[in-house]
Amino acid sequence: MVTALDNDITDIKADNIGDFTFPERNKFDAGFGVSPRTVDYISDVKNDPDWIREFRHKALEIFNSKPMPTHWATKDLDNIHFEEFRYYLSDGQKPKRSWDEVPEDVKRTFERLGIPEQERKFLAGVEAQYDSEAAYSNVKKVLEDQGVIFVNSTEGLHKYPEIFRPWFGKVIPTSDNKFSALNSAVFSGGSFIYVPKGVKVSHPLQAYFRINSEQFGQFERTLIIADEGSEIMYMEGCTAPKFETSTLHSAVVELVAMKGAKIQYVTVQNWSSNVFNLVTKRGIAHEDAEVRWIDCNIGSRLTMKYPGVIMKGKRARGEVISIALANSGQHQDTGAKMIHLADDTTSNVVWKSISIGEGRSTYRGQVHIPKHLKGCKNNTECDALLINSSSRTDTYPAISVKGNKHATQHEASVSQVSEDQIFYLMQRGLTEAEAMSLSVNGFINDLVKEFPMEYSVELKRLIDLEMEGSVG
Amino acid sequence: MSLVIENLTAQIPDRQILNGLNLTINPGEVHAIMGPNGSGKSTLSKVLSGHSDYEVTAGTVTLDGQNILDLEVDARARTGLFLAFQYPHEIPGVSNANFLRAALKARLPEGEDIDAVAFYKQLYTRMDQLEMDRSFTGRSVNEGFSGGEKKRNEILQLMMLEPKYAILDETDSGLDIDALKVVARGVNAMRSESRGFLLITHYQRLLDYIQPDIVHVLMDGQIVLTGGKDLALKLEEKGYDWVKDEVLATA
Amino acid sequence: MPDTLTAPASLATTAPTPSADLPQWFAERATTAWTTFDSLPIPGIKDEHWRYSNAKRLDPAAFHRATPAPESAEAEAVASSIGLSDTAARLIFVNDQLVQSDTHALPEGVICETLTDALIKHPEVVQQHFMQREAALGSAKFAALHLAHVQAGIVVIVPKNVVVENPIEVFHWVATENAAIFPHTLIVAGDNASVTVVDHYRTLGEIPAFSCAVADFVAQPGGRITYAHCQELGNAATALHLSSTSAHRDSQIKSFQVQLGAAFSRSESISDLLGQGSRSDMISISLPTASQVVDQRTLQHHAAPHTGSDLLYKNALYDTSRTIFAGLITVDEGAHFTDAYQTCRNLINSEEAEANSMPGLEINADQVKCSHGSTSSPVSDEELFYLKARGINDHDSRKLIVQGFLEDTLSRLDHEPLRHLIEQRIESKLASIA
Repeated sequence: MVTALDNDITDIKADNIGDFTFPERNKFDAGFGVSPRTVDYISDVKNDPDWIREFRHKALEIFNSKPMPTHWATKDLDNIHFEEFRYYLSDGQKPKRSWDEVPEDVKRTFERLGIPEQERKFLAGVEAQYDSEAAYSNVKKVLEDQGVIFVNSTEGLHKYPEIFRPWFGKVIPTSDNKFSALNSAVFSGGSFIYVPKGVKVSHPLQAYFRINSEQFGQFERTLIIADEGSEIMYMEGCTAPKFETSTLHSAVVELVAMKGAKIQYVTVQNWSSNVFNLVTKRGIAHEDAEVRWIDCNIGSRLTMKYPGVIMKGKRARGEVISIALANSGQHQDTGAKMIHLADDTTSNVVWKSISIGEGRSTYRGQVHIPKHLKGCKNNTECDALLINSSSRTDTYPAISVKGNKHATQHEASVSQVSEDQIFYLMQRGLTEAEAMSLSVNGFINDLVKEFPMEYSVELKRLIDLEMEGSVG
Repeated sequence: MSLVIENLTAQIPDRQILNGLNLTINPGEVHAIMGPNGSGKSTLSKVLSGHSDYEVTAGTVTLDGQNILDLEVDARARTGLFLAFQYPHEIPGVSNANFLRAALKARLPEGEDIDAVAFYKQLYTRMDQLEMDRSFTGRSVNEGFSGGEKKRNEILQLMMLEPKYAILDETDSGLDIDALKVVARGVNAMRSESRGFLLITHYQRLLDYIQPDIVHVLMDGQIVLTGGKDLALKLEEKGYDWVKDEVLATA
Repeated sequence: MPDTLTAPASLATTAPTPSADLPQWFAERATTAWTTFDSLPIPGIKDEHWRYSNAKRLDPAAFHRATPAPESAEAEAVASSIGLSDTAARLIFVNDQLVQSDTHALPEGVICETLTDALIKHPEVVQQHFMQREAALGSAKFAALHLAHVQAGIVVIVPKNVVVENPIEVFHWVATENAAIFPHTLIVAGDNASVTVVDHYRTLGEIPAFSCAVADFVAQPGGRITYAHCQELGNAATALHLSSTSAHRDSQIKSFQVQLGAAFSRSESISDLLGQGSRSDMISISLPTASQVVDQRTLQHHAAPHTGSDLLYKNALYDTSRTIFAGLITVDEGAHFTDAYQTCRNLINSEEAEANSMPGLEINADQVKCSHGSTSSPVSDEELFYLKARGINDHDSRKLIVQGFLEDTLSRLDHEPLRHLIEQRIESKLASIA
């Protein structure tokens, strides 16, 4: 059935599920570039309390004073022109609790991305962000009754300052890096979650970040606090249409797992290849707590993302499970940061990358075990698969261990799908492309199992899409 | 309707390995090819299945009338040609069950899928015949399998894919007698009026368990002698030097 | 209190004057190098090549260029230069002066001269190979300092098809407080030629001193070079060793590094695999004690297909010592069928010791087999228990475990007497550990 709205969709290219866009109808637009005026504009629109307005201004100063980290990172960062982005776009509507109330174009967007359907099937709550603000936000009543808070960051800081404020900007200080400073200056959207003591949320909460507008920067800010003994799984998905100009996505995500709590943060990113995705993610794990980052990076022009865990309490555990897929024109620069600050803390990093065509994947890691601690363990495994002869991969870990009460090990390998393997599979009747796809899926199979079932199916499909045309 | 190999000549960059080989396998027949090391036995299986290491410089191979030499490896396989590998490759992370489903699906028209219930029923029946533990369905293809397990897995694939012609490349090598019996039982279960077999082997032992209709001796890339199953026994008794003398005598 | 008027001028301020006897090109390079040295800053802590380390430890202002030592010191150094019993040549330098040389056992045609002599007698060969590789791992400033000052050290040129069975052994001594020496080693193995060279770096007594060494290895097609460098400077000294290897078609270069002395030792080792079928083995052992710092940077650079490299660095750390290992494998576009391995293992024997590892890979080619591994761990309790259960005391058990830990490095050295010598040097250091 074709409706008038369907005709409004600009299908730029249909090789990617997220590659469509609706016309803009913004009520609020902070304009191009970022300045104290931009910050004030955002603060005015969002009706920020004074402390947030000050926080933003201070962050902008830090952002302006910090150089691009090109002495260690890719020179492609120099191609980001901050004056060419718009930093805040919204239609001025409050997030709706029912899909029926969401504006038709936004609703259609998320339907096309399958969000309402997933919500019905297996999610405990959903937040759907469209450019700078959430359009839909809902959490199942049973969770609400247990005291679980799941709102966007604006609502979080207005309604729950007593929980929000003590942790906001504490896990990742504004000055952590240039992009965390930028986010702190202009953040909008993202989730605020609080799980009360002992509450174990059995179904995942999900946020979906959608960029619709061209020459736009999305800066969501997420803060998740899992109180003592609680458990939560949070999943985020993201897409953007492919524009001729570049798009900037720079989020800050802070996780706090109190004593004995467990947070799992699952990302399936599928950005179009014009997106600069520069994200800072870190969690603090207190005594006996666990923070797991389960990360799949597909698409984008450049992704720089090194999820970290600060293991602050005894026996805390940190884990990063990461899959990166870099196609031609893409650079996945990802990794992990494990900071051990207490005895008997354990961290684990398993990273696998697939480079296709002229794609480039990079692992950067940091493991830090200071002296005066005992019984700390780190295990890091990095495996890279190169599909074509022009594919590229790099690994740059840094492991610092003090004292003789710890054990660390790091292993990395680079391999190809061997010709013999392809021949064997083809002799059983599979085409070369099918054989390649099966081999690649086999390569990452053990990590795909870490994703929730519904996501792993989607993941395989995305990978198959990316593999198309890689053999020949 | 048969697998017809005519004047097949093939080489690797420095060396010619098959020198005008002729062989016809009719449905229902079991042929055995024996020969000393380096006679070209394994090359024949690789060339028939389309391995890119070998270049075919002359000759034709037709499968039920269709020329298969121009087909890619997978397309050849889908015409109904199966190769049980001498050294089955390990495929990390790909489970046996998924692999077999993918291979079966590749034989269906575009868009069609196999019936999962029927598939597992068939799979378990076949695995029971081969005395394979059910846990093999979830394990990665051949990864960490013992030599005998790999060979059983090859026969399992043969049973599931039901080819028109099957080539067994030294399937007996490295097997103890019990494993050999199991493998042979699998193969014998697949013998039928509509299926042809080519057993490639160095030892006569295999032929005690899978009785061939016709035995060929391969030397220097050609079939030099053809006979009944007695020929294998004679070879076992007299050795390959005897063949050389025999060939020279008739030349 | 030292007499400041007669104190020698520091390295940081005095431009050396190259000898008039040396070829023009060399004098020019030395002069340019001084300008380079002078213009480059001491690398800061933000420099990736100095991460976890500190280039101020190599501050040239703290040292002066060594002048000839008193005869008594020279005699003591010669008497203490105990090494291999069978050598093809043996040279002893004290404060960069050649004080003893025995080259009579060299096969005919093999050149083994001091750098100065070689510059005069064989200028073309030296010019072709001398310090042609940029010091790409962080020490460009100190490489320039070396080039500005260098006079001592040896040049070995082995003609085509000549095999030098016994090693060439060289001792470099510093005999004066705060003195700096600039030993150079240039080895060229012709087509299918083979040679083994050992450099010892030592101080006479526990004096602050600086050894700023550079080594160039060139293996022509089919050539083989085995090189060992045994750094046993006193515990107050500073050591720098920059080496670069050019491996041409089917050549093989094995380099062993034994870091036992110095308060701060830094090595930068570059292997360029330039020809098909070439192979480089890079092996290192260190046993830092007290507050010693061992800082090692490596590059395995594969520029041609079908090349192999294998790096194995092992550190057994004691007391408050620190190690830093930063290794990179780069595989150029087109260098297919490369096999490159890199392993760094740290055995940490004290609560205060610190091991930093930065293994790296940059792969731009297809059909490569590359891996790296890095581990840091203490002596395993089970191992220790097993040995003690057999009646061996704690100290000896730990020593055995450390020796076992180092075994697979030593076993790569296929020259029996040389391996024995290195084992002895390690043993003597282990014996000093309480």
